[in-house]
Amino acid sequence: MAADISTGLIAIGSGLAIGLSAIAAAIAEKEIGAAAVGAMAEKEELFGKGLILTVIPETLVIFGLVVAILILNLAKGA
Amino acid sequence: MLKPYQMSRVIITGPINVQEAVVRELHNLKILHIVDHSKSELADIGKPFESAARLSEILVKVRALISAFSIKKEESNFELKRSISEIESAIKKLNEEASLNIDELKKAEEQLSKMHAAKQELEILKGINVPLESFAPYKTLAHFTGHIKNKSAAASLKGEIPAITDKFMIFDSNAGKKPFIALFVDAKSKDQAANILQKNSFVPINFLNLSGLKGDASNNLSRLEQETAKLQGKKSGIKKNLDKMSAEHKWFLAAAEKFLGEQLEKAEAPLKFASTQSSFLVKGWVPSSELTRSIDRLNKVSKNRIFVHFEPAKKDDKVPVKLKNPKLARPFEFFMNMYSMPAYKEIDPTFFIFLTFPIFFGIMLGDVGYGLFSLLLFWLLKRKMPKASSFFSILMLASFVTILFGLLFGELFGKEFIHPVISREHEMFTLLYLSIAIGVIHVNIGLVVGFINEMKNHGIVHAIYAKASWIVLQIGIAMLALAYFGIIKVSPLFGAAFLGASILMLIKGEGIKGVIELPSILTNIMSYARLMAIGLSSVILAVIINDSAKEFFQHGGIFVLVGILVLVIGHAINLMLGLLGGFLHSLRLHYVEFFSKFFHGGAEKYRPFGAKE
Repeated sequence: MAADISTGLIAIGSGLAIGLSAIAAAIAEKEIGAAAVGAMAEKEELFGKGLILTVIPETLVIFGLVVAILILNLAKGA
Repeated sequence: MLKPYQMSRVIITGPINVQEAVVRELHNLKILHIVDHSKSELADIGKPFESAARLSEILVKVRALISAFSIKKEESNFELKRSISEIESAIKKLNEEASLNIDELKKAEEQLSKMHAAKQELEILKGINVPLESFAPYKTLAHFTGHIKNKSAAASLKGEIPAITDKFMIFDSNAGKKPFIALFVDAKSKDQAANILQKNSFVPINFLNLSGLKGDASNNLSRLEQETAKLQGKKSGIKKNLDKMSAEHKWFLAAAEKFLGEQLEKAEAPLKFASTQSSFLVKGWVPSSELTRSIDRLNKVSKNRIFVHFEPAKKDDKVPVKLKNPKLARPFEFFMNMYSMPAYKEIDPTFFIFLTFPIFFGIMLGDVGYGLFSLLLFWLLKRKMPKASSFFSILMLASFVTILFGLLFGELFGKEFIHPVISREHEMFTLLYLSIAIGVIHVNIGLVVGFINEMKNHGIVHAIYAKASWIVLQIGIAMLALAYFGIIKVSPLFGAAFLGASILMLIKGEGIKGVIELPSILTNIMSYARLMAIGLSSVILAVIINDSAKEFFQHGGIFVLVGILVLVIGHAINLMLGLLGGFLHSLRLHYVEFFSKFFHGGAEKYRPFGAKE
């Protein structure tokens, strides 16, 4: 399969979509996670709530993944 | 199922002289969730039984012994056939014996550490032939001891010191890593000597642990070695003593701790009661089904001298919640304990979690090999750790469903071993749409549950505004989208009308907060895409592991071993990631996406007096 430039660019685009959204989620989760662990040290029952708050930004990566797959699908169509 | 046990509010009151009998019976019954009385003008809190002080004193000693012997908590059938005073004297004797040993042990350890320090200093002095008592303070003589940079510095020192005074002695040794010198000079030349030493990067050592020692360093060293060995022997003897005591009394101590703890709990129960000089009153909650039985028993032990008032829970009561679920779903109450107990009037979502959690987990892990392996693993762990049995029951069920989905996806350790119904590796989009469809269903189940909750608590009108509006919103969006893509031939105005209506309903039902949260319904549903995403990453990793192992196998020879290693380690890591991801993400879909549609929670857990956790 000879890959042309446009296929390569599409691959880079989809890579960026998931990579950047993962970085964004990581930054958000870092802060929330640290605070949640702090709260849990004070009061152990907060585990459930802490877990939920920590994973909320994860949705960003899922969106990134969906967008990445959609972009990759462009490559098939092209 | 769906509803917790029905509870009744109970108030027991009676004369103070039957209080102890009532407390004992309540402790046996393990049925009353006591609501603590707070001190008021009408009645103070009760006084603990007289035995409480003595009991807690013994209990403290028992716990101290348990920690000194480092006894782990274990289940035992040890029968404690002794009265409290017998236990007390046994504990006292044991305590004396143990503290004697512990004190000796401490002393020996202290001595050992002192000797160790002295030995290190002697090691340094071993290389020079100077009696130890020489390093004492003098009036006319100064001495320096310490390390210098290197051998050439030692030589240059020997040249420089004679230039300032002829009253000196210098010793050096090269035994350690750096050369060591001991310099004795006339007190008058002390400062000059210090200057010279500093130029040769002299690092002084003070021998703090050698006071009182005399004679040759190596003689002292060998004497200390012998003493250390003797002390070590003594120390291990004491330790053996303590271990023996620990092994001998471990069951007794554990049983005594349990027994005394129970007695103390009874003795301190009146602290939760309201009490006057001659009467007591205790409030609490009892499951309605147990009500008559417990009232009969209480009347019997108090010879009908108490009065018990009971009534069903009222609307605004803070009722402690005891969840009620079929046996198979009961382990999933673990998730409610971890999150928050549902309120008494709310639908208990345990059964829903029981239905969907294993499915979500299964879709994400979805591999026959991984499923079988984790089933076996959790079965073993469950037998090993009976305390966490509900947790492992959940995971075992989830692993079983994983095997079913593995068959559906036709995967065995990432390899398609049968023709799949849906291939996770190749039919990404089918699976993505399926995941979103599951999301739509799951979120709407949540909305329906929320609708029922709202209807019960605030009436049907509010329920329609607050919960049904979300469903109307989804219909509106769906119609708009379908019309846009030309799949259905209706004017987009219909969809827009639904959308508008739902927003108006939301404003009425949940206020401006509802409007702000409008997009959340879409993000919630999209979030279910993780069902496909986590699964996909798990499959791709497994395929990569298999492919790289295959290359090693093709090389043959020693590479076959490397290939096997790659397979084992790779799949172990992937399984671990898959279990962690499957568990957390499935849990998250319930806690965040599902629960936010209906769950309030915050109720207290039903903890009957006398029952152990």
